[in-house]
Amino acid sequence: MIHSRAPIAFVAPAVILMFIILIAPVFIAGTLSFTDYNLGNPGFNWVGWKNYDALVSRTGYKKMFSASLAYVLIVVPISVALGLGSALLISSLRFGGEVYKTVFFLPVMATLLAMAIVWEFTLDPIVGVLNHVLRSGCDIGWLHSFLTGSWLGMDATSSWYGHGCSETFPLWIGDKDYALGTIAFIGIWQAFGFNMVLYLAGLTSVPRELYSAAAMDGADSGWERFKLVTWPMLGPTHVFVVTITSIRSFQVFDTVEALTRGGPSKSTYVMVYAMFEKGIRQNLIGVGSAITVVFLAFVLILTMTQVYFVNRRVHYS
Amino acid sequence: MARITLQGITKSFRNTRVLNTFDLDIADGEFLTLVGPSGCGKSTTLRIIAGLEAQSSGDVRIDDKIVNTVRPSRRDLAMVFQSYALYPHLSVRQNLATPLRLRDLGFWERMPLIGPFVPGRKEKLRALSTAVNEVAETLKIEPLLDRKPGQLSGGQRQRVALGRAMVRNPAAFLMDEPLSNLDAGLRVHMRAELAELHRKLGTTFVYVTHDQAEALTMSDRMAVMMDGDILQIGEPDDVYQNPQDIRVAEFIGSPKINILPGTNDNSGQLTSVGITLSQRLADATSGEISIGLRPEHLELCEKNTSGCFVGQLSYKENLGSDVFLYVTLNGGSHRLIVRAKPLQAHDLAVDEELWVKPDQNKVIVFGADGKRLRLVGATASEHAA
Repeated sequence: MIHSRAPIAFVAPAVILMFIILIAPVFIAGTLSFTDYNLGNPGFNWVGWKNYDALVSRTGYKKMFSASLAYVLIVVPISVALGLGSALLISSLRFGGEVYKTVFFLPVMATLLAMAIVWEFTLDPIVGVLNHVLRSGCDIGWLHSFLTGSWLGMDATSSWYGHGCSETFPLWIGDKDYALGTIAFIGIWQAFGFNMVLYLAGLTSVPRELYSAAAMDGADSGWERFKLVTWPMLGPTHVFVVTITSIRSFQVFDTVEALTRGGPSKSTYVMVYAMFEKGIRQNLIGVGSAITVVFLAFVLILTMTQVYFVNRRVHYS
Repeated sequence: MARITLQGITKSFRNTRVLNTFDLDIADGEFLTLVGPSGCGKSTTLRIIAGLEAQSSGDVRIDDKIVNTVRPSRRDLAMVFQSYALYPHLSVRQNLATPLRLRDLGFWERMPLIGPFVPGRKEKLRALSTAVNEVAETLKIEPLLDRKPGQLSGGQRQRVALGRAMVRNPAAFLMDEPLSNLDAGLRVHMRAELAELHRKLGTTFVYVTHDQAEALTMSDRMAVMMDGDILQIGEPDDVYQNPQDIRVAEFIGSPKINILPGTNDNSGQLTSVGITLSQRLADATSGEISIGLRPEHLELCEKNTSGCFVGQLSYKENLGSDVFLYVTLNGGSHRLIVRAKPLQAHDLAVDEELWVKPDQNKVIVFGADGKRLRLVGATASEHAA
């Protein structure tokens, strides 16, 4: 064996850069989360677990966790299901598939911050097109009775739509009951096109002969073939799509920053926005770092779960 | 048990014709092979029989019942695919059980939570697992039942695919190049096993292959397909000895049949590369013809014998039991392959001058259109059509 320093020299730049750019910041954030450091201060004091204590005890942070979790739990299942559904529909088309692909993928390519401004106009309670459309329906008799359920003999004013007509329609991003749902809707709108593309790629790798075999074996309905072939063969894609969508949902920031700024009454106070507000705006580096570390833990758990599934379950050969 | 009849089948994909009109009658219990080069439409024919592809026109009958609109699973056929098409997420046992589950268990019985409470399900499952075990025993794959397809070798996967087809006791087996993914030794072995399986089951086999050796060795009858037509159908021996088309002659047989150009005069006298044949054409019309000679119908002869081709030995191919001599005629314009015994060939050196005599009775003559021409003569071949 030849002892040479050349290999080390070749590897060193990559390793050093990786350490400086990727690994060291994690450790620095971890260290800072135990301090009361402020940017610009010459020194800091160790505060032990105080920052983490605050995360679990203060209601503001509890709202942060529940907002993040709720956002993820709404966006991930719906955008994954929509992605899979649209991919299946598009792949079954003889022509026109390209048009749908392009249309559904447009929100993925668009800058979310710019799109958020368009959504802000759409959702504006006074001049927004959404409430405008909803209000205009109130004056059309049959539509009103259909939407309020009064044609079935139900009380018009007690229904959601009837209430909106007689009183006022929701403020959407200005209403603490609607804000998170609205943000999640935009998240789904933006994410499912990406999932669709991943599923389309996954579908092309399913061998056609398996469908023939399934047809010979008696899987007569589309649902049977989906259960027997498509769903299991998409195993690796499922894991990838769910993991990527979860991580991206945890990272939601731009719509919150542009539309709600965490409000109203912290109903959309998601983790990355909290990081930004504490660490950057309020210059509370210690708390910001603590949130970052918790965030990192979440992402790490997700990734480890993915690795587990990839190794164990979904690759068949 | 089933007789399969195709009548006036055509198939086009958009504007491309892949199958021209043809009929095919497959007898009950027969081993019929569809053989041809890739793209000749043999797999499409099989998929039409299976119901996986719809014909553009014509009828498919199984036991005299038209099945044009019957779903693949309801035709009582089983298919073995080239890639085996096993479900990779299911164990071998589950793979074998899938056709039975889908056929014998009702919708509710297959439901994950409700299923166990449906009356009569237990008995069905027991019958199902007996059937699976029996097939596994026949194919000697019992030790593999709990493995996934990914953990099996090519030959084992092949057996499992066969088992999945057998487990339903179908009326006929359809096989789409089932051996072409195996290595050469295993392929020869499986050839014998498939033929034996066919004898044991007595079921109709429709077998698609591009390998003429498989067609010759296994089938009761073989249909040679080319460019969407069935050129010839008959027993392997007959197809080999009496090809009715020059394309059949060239496709069947290894090494390939020797084709030499020739001419005939008004009396039907045939000449080719300096040799006059002893037989004459039945219908004498002068023109260009092609003469086919199998390598085993050529033999070495003494120098300067009349009726012998003269050429140079360019290459010797030793197969142990036989030696194939590649002889160039006319300074390289034509080539003959001659089968010789190792003893005869042993002393021959490359570039040596060789004299080769054709067996006049075995000469096969094709017209300019590639169709077989009938010969008459002192020793007319009784095979000539």
